[in-house]
Amino acid sequence: MNRKNLLPTLAATVALVAPLALALTLVAPAFAHHSAAQFNFQTPKSIDGVIKEVRMANPHMRLVLTVTDQKGTRDIEYEGHSLNNLYRQGWRQDSVKVGDKITINIAPRKDGADGGYVVKVKTADGKEF
Amino acid sequence: MQSSKLSTAVAAVAALSALAVTMASSTASAADAARPDFSGVWTWNRDNGGPGRADMAWPKDPPFTAEGKAKVAEYRALVEPQGITPGGACVGYGMPASMLGSGGYPMEWIQRPEQITVIYEAHNEVRRIYIDQPRPDPKDLVPSRDGTSFGRWDGNTLVVETIALKEAVDQSSAHSDKAKIVERYQMGKDDKGRKTLTAEMVLTDPVFYTKPVSATKKWLALEGGRLLPYECTEPQWEDQLDKLRTEAKAAKKP
Repeated sequence: MNRKNLLPTLAATVALVAPLALALTLVAPAFAHHSAAQFNFQTPKSIDGVIKEVRMANPHMRLVLTVTDQKGTRDIEYEGHSLNNLYRQGWRQDSVKVGDKITINIAPRKDGADGGYVVKVKTADGKEF
Repeated sequence: MQSSKLSTAVAAVAALSALAVTMASSTASAADAARPDFSGVWTWNRDNGGPGRADMAWPKDPPFTAEGKAKVAEYRALVEPQGITPGGACVGYGMPASMLGSGGYPMEWIQRPEQITVIYEAHNEVRRIYIDQPRPDPKDLVPSRDGTSFGRWDGNTLVVETIALKEAVDQSSAHSDKAKIVERYQMGKDDKGRKTLTAEMVLTDPVFYTKPVSATKKWLALEGGRLLPYECTEPQWEDQLDKLRTEAKAAKKP
């Protein structure tokens, strides 16, 4: 299934949204669909990795990063804000692509396992979402 | 001659009736025209409540009955360890959580004299408020998460009564299926001169609460704003198709 089709459709649909409308909704709710129980938002962590898969969707985006750290190299799955919230923060289809090196800020899982809730994405060219 | 008088009388009665209907109709139109128009896109008024869930207007410690408290505790013990929520399963908020915030997503109001339709962006949740419409027997209503809403105008205030709700332990504003919600909507302006929609709500539910629970929610007009599409279950469908393709490919291999 070509998930890349998701965003162009969306972008075309809302291309006429007034900039003011976007400006007014820039602040996205962090836990619109989540209990924070799984994640520790008090101890955010920064992770560097290479994008293996990104799926922009509601109610949550899914991001798989290839991460190398002292535990070795592996693919780790993260989830984050909804497509709609990220769109309002300026995220577009071409914001990131598979193979990009990015830095994410996450609320790590409370059980200490790999993964977490993405609260910020910083692209290689310095854009932040 | 008599026949002529009769015809004249009939014509006069008909004319008077037509006039009465026209007057009634124009009075109704004038009243409709004078109503505030709530149509448009509304978003969270963060200035008056702060960001995120802090803006949830529902009281933190509502006056639960023992039954209400036990049911909510049982639900929370089930879902909280894993962080499971109905939204994560693509299920809408339901009343009154939809009108109290809908997860921070905007909503759109479409107003006609006889019906107001409220579309919440999150989960494409829809409420229809029937204005001055005959009410069916409650047993003929289909219980649902948002219930069935009947509205009337009290001056410039829209009063909405919602019944036929399903029991909902899976929202902050939990309630039983005996709950009744009355909302009073008014348009106003905030201190920056921006258009606001304020909902004052009272939920009465003798099964879950020892007394009525009140909450106030302010929404802010998102001038020129539009709702975004919200296809929550699409990834599951895509995964299903992916699985079918993988299986089909595997079956073709010798």
